[in-house]
Amino acid sequence: MKLEIVIPKGRVYEDTIDSIVVPTSSGEINILPGHIPLVTEVEPGGIIVSKSGEKQFLAISKGFAQCLGDKISILAEDAIHMDEIDESAVEDAQKRAEESLATIEKMSDEEIVMLETQVAYAQAQILVKKKKS
Amino acid sequence: MPNLREIRRRIKSVKNTRQITKAMELVAASKMKKAQQSALSGQPYAALLAETLSHISTRIEELEHPFFEEREVKNRGIILVTTNRGLCGPLNSNLFREILRAETPMKFVSVGRKGRQFLSRSDRDLMADFVIDDAVPYVQIKQMTEFMIDKFLSGKIDTVEVLYPRFINVLTQAQSFAKLLPIHGLDEMITELRGKDAEPFESTKDNRNFSFEPDPKSILNSLLPLFVDRQAYQAVLSARASEHSARMVAMKTAKDNATKLIDSLTLQFNKARQAAITQEILEIAAATSSNS
Repeated sequence: MKLEIVIPKGRVYEDTIDSIVVPTSSGEINILPGHIPLVTEVEPGGIIVSKSGEKQFLAISKGFAQCLGDKISILAEDAIHMDEIDESAVEDAQKRAEESLATIEKMSDEEIVMLETQVAYAQAQILVKKKKS
Repeated sequence: MPNLREIRRRIKSVKNTRQITKAMELVAASKMKKAQQSALSGQPYAALLAETLSHISTRIEELEHPFFEEREVKNRGIILVTTNRGLCGPLNSNLFREILRAETPMKFVSVGRKGRQFLSRSDRDLMADFVIDDAVPYVQIKQMTEFMIDKFLSGKIDTVEVLYPRFINVLTQAQSFAKLLPIHGLDEMITELRGKDAEPFESTKDNRNFSFEPDPKSILNSLLPLFVDRQAYQAVLSARASEHSARMVAMKTAKDNATKLIDSLTLQFNKARQAAITQEILEIAAATSSNS
């Protein structure tokens, strides 16, 4: 089963895997080979990829996942591998986003949604990092 | 005979111009690199987005969404992406020519000062002007497309297109229309985005029915606007890369011309100087011969 994760900055993950757990709007789902074709909304959270007995953890922001044939494609605003998460940078980013959310009256709806996603993504990254260490 | 001092002054001023154009060329070159990078790196995302959409649209039988609805085109809605500053060769005027050539009535939204000026000067139907910063923040694009989608849904315009200078390479930028709405021709778009070397795109290998979480309608409702936004975003990024490379080329030509001009002026200066010396020697010789 192939997995690709693509974000606006480029392709961040491409590999052959055994199974994957994805956070969706209706709860976490585990996708195994031979899954029926599926399109789902992805919520900010942690992804667990199993490959030949080993588990890899990734944090992901809002997006979509598509499962078709032997291929899973995930389309997200942002995604990062656990090893690359820099906790202090993430906390700073979360603080900044929350501070800007405090001045909510001045903002358009799009900006609010964007900032909320950023906060959720930051939380997801911290959770993924903590889960492992 | 041209005055020596005058020539010297001209050489000096041309040298100054050359220095400025050289600096501008370097600035444009570094900006171009960045702009090109961000334009290219967004492509896999846009391709996958189009692919997902294409899968969905072929699998849902009762695909009814206003974004797919083709109407008789009475008014084209155009997002005109131009530069804020000049000195970038024929980049903007090529776009304007495209507008002058079109026959169907158009309604405009402008991005960039040059486009806004052109539209108001030529007295066209300008609905709104959006300012998009150099960094191209996604939020600003979203506001713009939302405005256009609104106009499209209310029937004020029957298409949404982006007219922009598409970046092909440093030397060539082609003015082109990117059709955002109504959505069609997904497959061609995917092949183009994926590039020639990628495997051909095929949509039917797995024929089982698609399942949607939470349901097809809400997926479409969030996927379609995202798709339109991304298309517009990609177009603006490409336009920015075009702008900087066009400016770099224009500045390089200007610099080369200045160098040529300096050469010919220097020649002229030396000739004049030599003529003056010869003149003086002749006068001295004539004076001594008449004295003796």
